Amino acid sequence: MEVLDCLGKRCPLPVIELAKALNSKPIGSQIKLLSDDPASAPDLIAWARMTGNSVQEVDESTFEVTKLTD
Amino acid sequence: MLSITLNFQSEPRLHEAARIALPHIFEVSWPDPTKLGVDSKSAAILLNEARETLAGHLSVRSDEISFLGEPSLGFHLALSGLLSPGKRLIYSNIDRMEIFAIAENHPNLQLASSTSGEIDFKDCTNSDVVSLQLCNRETGIIQVGRPANCAELFVDATASGTRIGLPGNWSAALWDSTSWAGPGGLGVLAISKKAKWKNPLPHLDGRVNPGPTSLPLIVASALAIDSWVADEKNLAKKISAINSEIRTYITNKIPNSDLAPDGADHLLSASFLYVNAEQLVTMLADKGFAVDSGSACNATNMQPSHVLAALGILTQGNIRLTIHHATSFEDVKIFLEVLEQTVAELRA
Repeated sequence: MEVLDCLGKRCPLPVIELAKALNSKPIGSQIKLLSDDPASAPDLIAWARMTGNSVQEVDESTFEVTKLTD
Repeated sequence: MLSITLNFQSEPRLHEAARIALPHIFEVSWPDPTKLGVDSKSAAILLNEARETLAGHLSVRSDEISFLGEPSLGFHLALSGLLSPGKRLIYSNIDRMEIFAIAENHPNLQLASSTSGEIDFKDCTNSDVVSLQLCNRETGIIQVGRPANCAELFVDATASGTRIGLPGNWSAALWDSTSWAGPGGLGVLAISKKAKWKNPLPHLDGRVNPGPTSLPLIVASALAIDSWVADEKNLAKKISAINSEIRTYITNKIPNSDLAPDGADHLLSASFLYVNAEQLVTMLADKGFAVDSGSACNATNMQPSHVLAALGILTQGNIRLTIHHATSFEDVKIFLEVLEQTVAELRA
């Protein structure tokens, strides 16, 4: 799985970089996002709900993201 | 250049009725109302009248209220006073941080809010002290849940003010004078005569707080509440219509926005995906609009709002709007266009 390292980056950068990385990828693509920003966990869940994608929290700084919509 | 700032932050301007009377209030309320003498007697009459006025609007007995120079101290006074040894504190994950801090020192249970903001109090028992927030100040969510069982009930009315009445089984309640456009730095704490409350501060007499609390602020607050409540009756419909206008505009015109559920008409919270709240708040301020934010990048502790996170609302790019009595449709129309433009600029 492709890894997107956003460790040390503050909100809203991890979510912006994730959206950019997924932009050109086909539906079904997966990305492992690394982020230690305290806003990332709640915001990735909200992002998935708002955009129709999927996020699994592996641990507090690792998130597996699956693109489900364009 | 003269710049005019439209205020959507939580603090209202002091009500005009209090503002124009301030010099006179200070002129007559300098003596200590507890002392003997003609001037002190006049001050005592002023204090009593103010107490009666405030108690009347808050629907409590005038001998149940105390005035606090530091409104937030009321959370500790009320809750720590109700929490006798062995009692458990039940509170919710959208309560104020002051209550989280008190919970650290007592057996406690934190209840989780539903995504619509509702708290289910079914696990409360007759030996629990329950904290109930009538209205959430960050989102405007009005609490519909009520505990059927509890030993004592503390009511946080700091954001609801006079808008929502106390439940019949209240033990203690706290208000903030700014919620009726009274002066800042004044809280009103009511402790029911029926409550088993013990003063948690060192004390030698029956006073709830050491005091003295500023008599001019108390008198100004009483003037403000009288006029504010009268205004509110006339303006409630306008405030509600403005809230709907803002919600509709954001939903239709600004993509990827996340609004907190409907609640009190004067409060509204909106978050914008891919937006840095600090930049948004700063740019809006530069353009003449003062707004609050619950986002991490705008907080002193760099933590996102615990309320937004608990409700599953996006915490980034968050702004919080308070619609004041003076807020007009014209102000809001200009603001919304600027907001739409600014969010688009920041996303570009």
